Amino acid sequence: MKKRPFKKILIVNRGEIAIRIIRACKELGIRTVAVYSDADKNALHVRKADEAILLGDSAPNESYLNVEKLLNAARETGAEAVHPGYGFLSENADFAEAVTNAGLTFIGPSPEAIRIMGDKAESKIRMKAAGVPTIPGAEGIETLAEFESASDEIGYPVLVKAAAGGGGKGMRVVWKKAELPDAIESARREALNAFSDDRLLAEKYLPKAHHIEFQVFGDSHGHITHLFERECSVQRRHQKVIEESRSPLLTPELRAKMGAAAENVAKAVNYTNAGTVEFIVDPDTHDFYFLEMNTRLQVEHPVTELVLGIDLAQWQIRVAAGEAFPYTHETFPQRGHAIEARLYAEDPENNFLPSTGVIYQFVEPSGPGIRVDSGIATGSEVSHFYDPMLAKIIVHAEDRATAIQRLQSALRHTVVHGVITNIALLQNILDHDDFQAGIVTTRWAEAMLGDLRASPNLAFEAIIAASLVDFGLLAASSAGCESQSSSPDPFSPWKIASGFRLRRNND
Amino acid sequence: MKSHFSHKNESLTLDVNPLGEGYQIRFGEKTAEVHFASGADGQLTFYLDGRKVDAHVSSDGKRRWVTFGGHTWLLEKTSGQARGGAAGASSGRLIAPMPGQVRAVNVAEGESVEKGQTLLVLEAMKMEIRIQAPMEGVVARLAVVEGQTVEREELLVEVDEADE
Repeated sequence: MKKRPFKKILIVNRGEIAIRIIRACKELGIRTVAVYSDADKNALHVRKADEAILLGDSAPNESYLNVEKLLNAARETGAEAVHPGYGFLSENADFAEAVTNAGLTFIGPSPEAIRIMGDKAESKIRMKAAGVPTIPGAEGIETLAEFESASDEIGYPVLVKAAAGGGGKGMRVVWKKAELPDAIESARREALNAFSDDRLLAEKYLPKAHHIEFQVFGDSHGHITHLFERECSVQRRHQKVIEESRSPLLTPELRAKMGAAAENVAKAVNYTNAGTVEFIVDPDTHDFYFLEMNTRLQVEHPVTELVLGIDLAQWQIRVAAGEAFPYTHETFPQRGHAIEARLYAEDPENNFLPSTGVIYQFVEPSGPGIRVDSGIATGSEVSHFYDPMLAKIIVHAEDRATAIQRLQSALRHTVVHGVITNIALLQNILDHDDFQAGIVTTRWAEAMLGDLRASPNLAFEAIIAASLVDFGLLAASSAGCESQSSSPDPFSPWKIASGFRLRRNND
Repeated sequence: MKSHFSHKNESLTLDVNPLGEGYQIRFGEKTAEVHFASGADGQLTFYLDGRKVDAHVSSDGKRRWVTFGGHTWLLEKTSGQARGGAAGASSGRLIAPMPGQVRAVNVAEGESVEKGQTLLVLEAMKMEIRIQAPMEGVVARLAVVEGQTVEREELLVEVDEADE
């Protein structure tokens, strides 16, 4: 029997990532404490955890971002360690420090590493010094005039982005000088909202580039290794939509070079725990540049897990408890191909507006090589308070073409009623020749949006199905129902009891 | 018996009549025979001219969410009365596309605006949504202030079209 790294862990997050961490804890025999806001009192992560503590008001500042309340929850429940997930406080050095000062273990890197990498300007300077290629840009600038002269020097297009940035928030591409004032203002406002820090920097924007990132892992014994790449070039407004491993672009030589650079990045800050080093890569020259390091588990970590057959969330916990990470990238062959699609509650046909509401039906796909990390169930409410990502559908297959096919099939068998989703968009991407050829760059999805957001014409069968409901043949789904059974069960007693004919209802 | 739906502003009418076994369905030029097989937990199976059809359906007031063949559509049940007419005249009424908070108000009542000009910025789900003028005109009414929380479909601002 393996030793338990901790007895109890507090998970200061929500949605699918909280559930992902709960799953890792359960396998390790660790008790879990969830936290939740008013809006999340019926949320799935609360149901799955062993214990749950109410934080209060739904606004993130009063709940998932409220350090004092979170530390109280840890004290109240006797948790020994805190897992931040991604987003929220996961890359907040002050929080990591507060956790440590409270005598608890923060499951993540040191506050110092978070602080350095969280400052996009500072980290670039450090990486330059460590010999890692970085993209030309200007840091520590403030006024419009400074941005104008820096941008002239860098050459348009430039990217104006939050120094504290991440997740595509507080970023604007500027194609010409006239767009600078507006871009700076809106990036600053978004940065202030998302990170409570409105400092911006400017850098060269490569219109044609792949986004390729390397998973890295370090332990408290000084061992640091990379765990291969994830290709994340399918993006919209710097939000990743589809991620995969391996990257269709990388040759073994380039992979080795970038892997070594990623390890150097991590070593430069004595990195511990799971992290991700992001690069942009010019597909023509194979030049690559350090973009940033995310000092947490990524949304897209499952593709690495599937290709390597390793549980990153569990290793985060074990390494935080002081265990040595026993592997290097040489331990693992990259087995086959994995792809992840992010299911968002948004309407691609209506300017990608987030869609809110009650989930009347959620049917997850299943089958060999299909994994679903989801934060919702039938009856869940999707509110406007939090991120619109509902679930991740991840597939693994022996090669890329087979994996694409598997993901297409999985998405066909995914049912979400109650909020509008991007499933049709995901299908259009997977079906596109450019995606299948593996030549997609970070601006591709935006440029192709006209084609990609097309949705299929209404099917005759769908209209009939809609009308049949009104003949009372289908028990209408009720809002807020507690039922979690969403998988099709051919032996359900409901089915047996409902073998009546359409006309009987009309007698 | 007629069932009326709308989908993306298109009106659809389905004529459903009982047969000996099942129903005859007419939709435009199409005629088909439907036999119901089973329905529970939001899943529905029926036979359309002998061909098995599996669908998922959820009701949400007048809205019907339907999934068939891997695609999901949102239909709205209507009374079948002809609509339209008012749509053109009210296109300057800009409503909140979803619940959120007003982050910035860039215009004042009586101000002239260009087509595409950002009138105000709404924040929802950590995203910025720019509410832009649909045409050149004058801000006839500003219904919200900065910082205000708005519900879905709440009126934000009204723009009157410029006289040519």
